Amino acid sequence: MSNNRFGQDAALIALDKFRTGKIDRRGFMTAMAGLGLAVAFRPGRASAAVSEIVVCNWGGAALEAFQKAYGAPFKAKSGIEVVVDGTGPATGAIRAMVDSKNVTWDATDGGMTDAVVLGKGGYVEPIDYSIVDKSLVGEGLAAEFGICNYTYSNVLAYDAKKVGATAPSSWNDFFDLEKFPGKRTMCKWIQGQLEAVLLADGVKPEEIYPLDVDRAFKKLEPLLPHLIFWESGAQSQQLFRDGEVVMGNIWHTRANLLRKENPDYTWTWNQNLMFASAWSVPKGNPAGKKVFDFINSSMDPEGQVTLLRIMGNGPSNPKALALMTAEDKAVYSLAPENAKTGLPISAQYYADNEAELQNKFLDFISR
Amino acid sequence: MTSFQRWAFCLTVPAALLTLCLYVLPILQVLALSFTEPTLGFGNYVALFHNAAIGRVVRTTVIVSAVTTVLTIVMSYAVAFALVHMPPAPRRVALFMVMVPFWISVLVRAFAWITILRRNGVLNSALVGSGAVSEPLELVYNQFGVIVGMVHYMMPFAIMLLYANLSEIDLRIIQAARSLGARPVTIFFRVWLPLSVPGLAIAGLFIVIFSLGFLVTPAILGAGRVLMVAEYISVQISSTLRWGVATALSTMLLLVVGILVALAMRSPALRAAFEGGRK
Repeated sequence: MSNNRFGQDAALIALDKFRTGKIDRRGFMTAMAGLGLAVAFRPGRASAAVSEIVVCNWGGAALEAFQKAYGAPFKAKSGIEVVVDGTGPATGAIRAMVDSKNVTWDATDGGMTDAVVLGKGGYVEPIDYSIVDKSLVGEGLAAEFGICNYTYSNVLAYDAKKVGATAPSSWNDFFDLEKFPGKRTMCKWIQGQLEAVLLADGVKPEEIYPLDVDRAFKKLEPLLPHLIFWESGAQSQQLFRDGEVVMGNIWHTRANLLRKENPDYTWTWNQNLMFASAWSVPKGNPAGKKVFDFINSSMDPEGQVTLLRIMGNGPSNPKALALMTAEDKAVYSLAPENAKTGLPISAQYYADNEAELQNKFLDFISR
Repeated sequence: MTSFQRWAFCLTVPAALLTLCLYVLPILQVLALSFTEPTLGFGNYVALFHNAAIGRVVRTTVIVSAVTTVLTIVMSYAVAFALVHMPPAPRRVALFMVMVPFWISVLVRAFAWITILRRNGVLNSALVGSGAVSEPLELVYNQFGVIVGMVHYMMPFAIMLLYANLSEIDLRIIQAARSLGARPVTIFFRVWLPLSVPGLAIAGLFIVIFSLGFLVTPAILGAGRVLMVAEYISVQISSTLRWGVATALSTMLLLVVGILVALAMRSPALRAAFEGGRK
C-alpha cells in the first residue's frame, strides 16, 4: 500500500482539510475509508481541534436517548457535537481498535466489569479525575478505568396472568415449579445469573462473593429443562410477549417496557441484582482529554433523569433523586425503597473470573 | 498454453490478488494469533485437547452437522428429482419456490421458525387444537429446532446443486434401461442413483462445510442449549477475550474443512463433479 502515491496524496489533502477544520472527523474517516487508508493515517492529536466527541453505545433506541440525555446538554455547554455510534463497544471490538491503532470512539458504554478488564489489559485510559468530578456519582461508582454513567438491575419479572393468585416475590419462587409451573428465562451471559441461584439456595447476600459455582450448578441443574436462555434484551421481552415463559431474570428496563405495553407483565424489586454501567475511554481516543469534559457533563442530574424517562437507565448521580417523580422512582433501581434488598454485582469479581465462569456456564447449560 | 488461454488466465489475476491481500493474508494474521496469544507456543492447541467443554462443543457440532447433512441431502434429492421430471412451466414455478428462501435473511428465517415451533406457536396450536397431542411439543430451543432451521437454510443450495447434476443425466440411458425391461425401482437404484453420485457428493460436502461453521441459526433456535463451534469462537473473541483459544479452534476448523475437501477431491465422483464443465 505504501507505493500508492496518488492515494496517499489524496489522503494528505483530506488530512489537511481535517486539521484546518474544513471537514469534521466523520467526513475525514469516510474519505479515508473510501481510499482504503483509514489505518495508515491518523490525525495528530495535539494539533486537531476537537469538533466532536464520538460515543459508542449499543444502538437502537439508545442512539436517540443518549443524544438527548448526554449529547444535547454537552453541545449547549461546549459547542462540541456529540456523535452516537450504535455499533456496540464489545471488549473485543475495543481491543481490536486499540491493537490496530485505529481508534474512532472517545467514550464507550460498557459494564463496570468491562472497564476493569480493559484497564487491566491496557486498552483504556484511566479516567482523569482532575477533570471529572468523582463526588458527582454515588459511592463505589467511580473506578480507575471507568465511571458509572447509569445503573440498572436484573429483576424477577413475571406474567401476572399466568402465575396465579400469589405473585412470585423472591428467587426462591423462581425455583418453585409446583407453585409456579411453566418455563422461565435466564440470561446466557453470566453476570447476575448465579447470584440469583445462590440467593434462592439460601446464601446470605454478604456471602455471595466469591460465587460458589458448584453449589449454584447443583441447584440449577434440575431447573435446566424448564429454562430458555436469552441473549439480547429484545429477546427476553419477546419471550414474555409470546407467552413462552411465566417468569424470568431480565433487565428491569425490559421489564418496564413490557409493563408499559401490558400491565400483566410486572416485576419485583425484591433481591434485584444491581449493575453499574460505565464510561470507558479507549487508549488513543481521537478527542483526547476533551472526552473527560463530556464525561463530567454526562453526570448532570437533569440529563440522567432524561435518560431514565426515555429508557429506564438509572442515574448514577444521587442528586437526580430530587428531580424525580414517584413514577420515575418506581423504575429507578437505586431509589431507596427499591435498593433495600438489592445485591450489588461485584465488578472486581467478574473482572477476575468472568471469562472462565462464562465458559463454564455455557458448557453447563448446553449439556 | 495457447495465447488465448494465457489471456484468459490473466483475467483471473486481479481477483486472485484481491483475495490474497484482503482475505488470505488477514486470515493468516488471525491464525498466527493462535501461536502467540497469550504466550508463544502450542499452548492453545494442547489446551484444546484437554478441555472437556470444548470436546462437548465439538461433539454437538459434529452431531448437528451430520444429521443436518443427511436430512438435507435426502429431502433435496427428492425435490431435485421431481424438478427434473416436471414439464417446463410448473418447473419454473417450483424453481422459484425453491429460490424464495434464498432472498430472505437468515435472521428473519430463524425468527420465523421460532414463531412456528414455539410452545404457543403455529404448529403446536394446530396440534393441540386438533387433539393430536395433549401437551405442546418441545420443538424449539433444543437440537431439534436447530436442525430444522439449518436444514431449511441448506436445502435451496443442495437442491440447486443436485438439480444441476440430475438435469445433465442423459435420458436416453433411462429409455435404454426401460426398453431392456427394468422396473422403475430398478431404474432408480441402478441408473439414477449411481449417476447422481457426483451431485450427491458435492452437495454433501458443501452442506457439511457450511454446517460446521454455522453461527446464527444455532444461536437463535438453540437459545443457549445448543452450543456449536462457531458460537463458541464468537464468544471467546468478543466476550471473554480469549483470542488464543478462539483462533486455535478456528485453525482446527479450517484444517478439518481442508482435509475434508482434500479427501473428497480424491474420489472420482467429486472430481467428475468439479470437472463436469470440461466435457
